[in-house]
Amino acid sequence: MDTPRIDSARIAETATGLDRADIERREKVFAISGLAVSYNGVTALADVELDVYRNTVTAFIGPSGCGKSTFIRCFNRMNDLIPGAKVSGTVLYHGADLYARQVDPVEVRRRIGMVFQKPNPFPKSIYDNIAFGPRVLGMKGSMDERVENALSQAALWDEVKGRLKDSALGLSGGQQQRLCIARALAVEPDVILMDEPASALDPISTTRIEDLMHELKRRYTIVIVTHNMQQAARVADMTAFFSVIVDDEGAARRGILVEYDATAKIFTAPSDKRTEDYVTGRFG
Amino acid sequence: MRIELQAELDALEAGFQEEGEIVLRSIRGAIDALRTQDVELCDEVIAFDDEVDERYLALEKQVELVLARQTPVASDLRLVLAILHNALHLERIGDQCVTIAKLTKLSSHLGTHAAVVEGLVDMGERCSEMVKVSLTAFADRDVAGARGLHQLDELVDNANRQVFREVLGYVHDPEALEWGMRQITAARCFERIGDNAVDIGEQTAFIVTGEFAEFTDASHDPRPLE
Repeated sequence: MDTPRIDSARIAETATGLDRADIERREKVFAISGLAVSYNGVTALADVELDVYRNTVTAFIGPSGCGKSTFIRCFNRMNDLIPGAKVSGTVLYHGADLYARQVDPVEVRRRIGMVFQKPNPFPKSIYDNIAFGPRVLGMKGSMDERVENALSQAALWDEVKGRLKDSALGLSGGQQQRLCIARALAVEPDVILMDEPASALDPISTTRIEDLMHELKRRYTIVIVTHNMQQAARVADMTAFFSVIVDDEGAARRGILVEYDATAKIFTAPSDKRTEDYVTGRFG
Repeated sequence: MRIELQAELDALEAGFQEEGEIVLRSIRGAIDALRTQDVELCDEVIAFDDEVDERYLALEKQVELVLARQTPVASDLRLVLAILHNALHLERIGDQCVTIAKLTKLSSHLGTHAAVVEGLVDMGERCSEMVKVSLTAFADRDVAGARGLHQLDELVDNANRQVFREVLGYVHDPEALEWGMRQITAARCFERIGDNAVDIGEQTAFIVTGEFAEFTDASHDPRPLE
């Protein structure tokens, strides 16, 4: 009889979370330096240096107005769509400048998919919601297979396989959010960005999304913004804490990156007093 | 500011210090019973352990509730974990006092030897002092004070060795030897109390620094066992 194979590294990871050194040995998917974002000349976020590693979940936490949503939108050039927004500094994606002139933002958003706070399915059938992206991009292969694959990966297939032609709007909020994740997966991305993906969901649906993140990170790199600190503690391998600084007159506020480290470190013994105050609920 | 969490942490900390006060009374009782060879006092020390256990269980329950309801993190989490850890150390110290009282009672019909009794009382006083220091250092988050426990523990260990050597001299006197063997066990109990106090000190350092490190590594102690 074969001896059962014990994956001790996996057990250690499950028990204690990934070690920072282990994470930093992985390929850098994003390398960000000197990043600043302004809206109509007013700085919203400044001086961000941070790397995102392959097959990890990276969470951004911080109080309202700290720039974490602004920051995640830099990862797939969503800020390009906001009038008056200006991004400076460097965002390297697998070593290439994401903001170089020849880079096509549509291709960027195919590789780097995004899921938003409020589920936003198209007013179409479940099937067509998934098939829309691949069709627009002219992707080859069986569409049925692609739809089933995407829905299976998003842990939704078993719930909807008998009603693929029904409107997506008839799904529950949690199912709609998983549909949006499936829609992002259907175009074979490399990275999935999630901006508060569970904040509009009930606790059971939230747990399903969190379980899904643990599954999906084996194939994808995930970046998530969350207001829920316990969610970051539960799902993320690395966590970045952003805070707000206010100028002397109290007029201008801008976001800064305070601390970026392994999630276990951030939630047990953070290095910066401001992080400590935030995660323990003494500030923010 | 999480007012409710802070109130619960304060209550936990007060509960822990109360358990400490009770355990100090146990130690005091065990030392006095030894010094006076008072069998009745031994019984009181043994019965008093129920109070220590009750305090420990109450604290354990409180810790469970704080973790379940407040999900503390960072320094708050370290404090809760340290209190759970230390409450158990205190409970163990209470158990050692019971064993010392039982041994004193068991050997009360045998003749005592002043040198050994004095040595044990001296150990007990040092242990009592160590527990006090560990509790104060914890309350003050005084890492230097907590680290000082290691030096105090060496003195307890030395006293333990002295008791052992003294009893070795009784080898040709069966009654004295029987008595002495029981005293060696009592000395061992005091020695464990000293270790528990050092462990409590290590938790103070853990709370403050975020890193757990033993002040000494007993498993690599180069000194021979006696």
